[in-house]
Amino acid sequence: METKKINNNNRIKEEKLFKGVLLLNAKIIGLVLGLMFGLMLFVATNWLVIKGGYQIGPHLELLNQYFIGYSVSFWGSLVGFAYGFALGTLSGSLIGWIYNIIVKLRN
Amino acid sequence: MENKPVVVIGAGPAGLAAAYELSRKGIQPVVIEKADTVGGIARTETYKGYHFDIGGHRFFTKMERINQLWHEMLGDDFLKVSRISRIYYKGCFYDYPIRVFNTFFNLGFLESFLIAISYFKVQFRPHAEEVNFEQWVSNRFGKRLFRTFFKTYTEKVWGISCHQISSDWAAQRIKGLSLVVAISNALLGVQNAKSLISTFNYPLKGPGMMWQRFREKIEANGGQVRLNSEAIRLRHDNGRILSVLHKKNGVTAEIFNGHVISSLPITQLANMLEPSPPDKVLEAAQRLTYRAFIIVILILNKQDLFPDQWIYIHSPEVKVGRIQNFKNWSAAMVPDSEKTSIGMEYFCNVGDETWTMSDTELADMASQELSVLGLSEVSDVTDRLVIRQPYAYPVYDQDYDSHLKVIRDYFRTINNLQTVGRNGMHRYNNMDHSMQTGIMAAQNVMGANHDLWDINDESEYHEEKKQKDKWRILTKDMLVPAFNRMDKLALATALGFTFGLLFFIATTWTLIKGDSILSPYILLFSQYFIGYTLTLKGAFIAFGYSFTWGFLAGWLFAYLRNLLFAAYIYWARRKSEVLTLIDFFDHF
Repeated sequence: METKKINNNNRIKEEKLFKGVLLLNAKIIGLVLGLMFGLMLFVATNWLVIKGGYQIGPHLELLNQYFIGYSVSFWGSLVGFAYGFALGTLSGSLIGWIYNIIVKLRN
Repeated sequence: MENKPVVVIGAGPAGLAAAYELSRKGIQPVVIEKADTVGGIARTETYKGYHFDIGGHRFFTKMERINQLWHEMLGDDFLKVSRISRIYYKGCFYDYPIRVFNTFFNLGFLESFLIAISYFKVQFRPHAEEVNFEQWVSNRFGKRLFRTFFKTYTEKVWGISCHQISSDWAAQRIKGLSLVVAISNALLGVQNAKSLISTFNYPLKGPGMMWQRFREKIEANGGQVRLNSEAIRLRHDNGRILSVLHKKNGVTAEIFNGHVISSLPITQLANMLEPSPPDKVLEAAQRLTYRAFIIVILILNKQDLFPDQWIYIHSPEVKVGRIQNFKNWSAAMVPDSEKTSIGMEYFCNVGDETWTMSDTELADMASQELSVLGLSEVSDVTDRLVIRQPYAYPVYDQDYDSHLKVIRDYFRTINNLQTVGRNGMHRYNNMDHSMQTGIMAAQNVMGANHDLWDINDESEYHEEKKQKDKWRILTKDMLVPAFNRMDKLALATALGFTFGLLFFIATTWTLIKGDSILSPYILLFSQYFIGYTLTLKGAFIAFGYSFTWGFLAGWLFAYLRNLLFAAYIYWARRKSEVLTLIDFFDHF
């Protein structure tokens, strides 16, 4: 009796496992992507700063066309982190949100 | 608490644990034991200085309290033993758990190939229904491997064909089969299968040493342990046991008790009640059955036979199911190091052909079978002894559950009676769980309200369980959604749209800004996005291309993620099935 109850519960869980569809947590994905992008830009900028040279990061500097206030310098890296974080968060949240809407519509 | 003694019937692990728990708390129990030694099914017998168990008993537990108790009792006399136990089949030793290369090497190429074909065949065309044990095992390992390794031994142990063993019953015995449990175990590194434990503890001179210590402690605390005392009747009235009648050396005595804790086979207990229980209870008791066990001890003039503590005999040409090598459990089990004592184990039913053989016939058969197996010669046997154990294993046939419920429901109406232990509860308890039921019964006598039937093979000590329950529920509840499949279309669309939007915005922003130093660099995308220009039309073209690439990337990501998760689930499930099947066989 007890075993049948346990087996039944297990069967229900297994059905949920196989038939269920993953839902994304848009906030978490946004946060993760934001942190990743922000960190990538922060590291990329400071790498060039530390590397130094005659002209530091001429191509990366072009990002200031989109990220106003960004420059290839330490302070610029902080600005870049903020922009990257914002962009990543928005993008990640958007991905998660659209994904969840489509999943709910299909199921 | 009332002044009348607590009577504990049976001095096995459960009874002794109950009595010890009571005696520790100032209550003097009276333990009644029919045999001349303590330990019950887990006792150690002694013959001419040789010690041997009735079936091997490993001391391993996940219950910290029981573990502490064991160590407290024995101290340095509690050895740590590295487990070796293999399968012996057609003259070869097979590793247990079964390993591919070892099996291949022993079986030979042709047989291994046929087993592999059989295994793959069943992956594509399994039995649609799993009604019996044979189908259950075949679906997982292939019919040929089932016939080679599992069929013979299982039928030796149970005495019935594998297709008569219900798959439900097999699943009850096979723990951890739930896929969610398998995945959570795999992820969290929890090891539920006792069989994977490579070491265990063992008393220097066998389990009897442990139970003897328990007895000494109980008596030191003021309790009594009466051996050679057989319980005959339990008189009851108005929902209470009033007295226990027992016989020792032909003399009958009556104990007027407060509480009774019984580890007697539940079927016997039902028949001992006076007045008798209702007919339906007695009928239910009659329908519960037990598997019996005979061990033939052979003392051999050989220093070593095999390094294992025990070996499973899967060979169908002999009746012996298992062979214990007591010297490998502890060297102190054998007084003469030049000799070896082994136990040839036969599973049977009381009254069947094997059970009714005389001791001489059994000993002759055992010696002969040892020779047939090629492990030793008949002439090496210098001494022999036969021990019979009825009520060794409760049988879980298809209806046992309903019969047990009838008896349990009746016993619940008797307020001062509790049943504990393997036979007392008709349950496959190991020693630790049996002891746990005894301890909790004792605590109930002192005012607690434990449900002994709640303790199962996966139980841990109650308090530890409470703390771990929350975490376990949390992880299992989190696991199921985390392992759900990802919707490929949804992710592809989401990624595609987001990428497209980013490129669209990037292009239009540059456009709005006018002649920008970024323009030539942005236009480099036209190398990949054919037709792309720094115009509004170009922005839409960028959206289109980015959406496509994002869509493909998202679809691929979701597909690979699902594939890898499915592979992980498959692996976790297979691992769990192997472990639980090992556990199943290890239970005997």
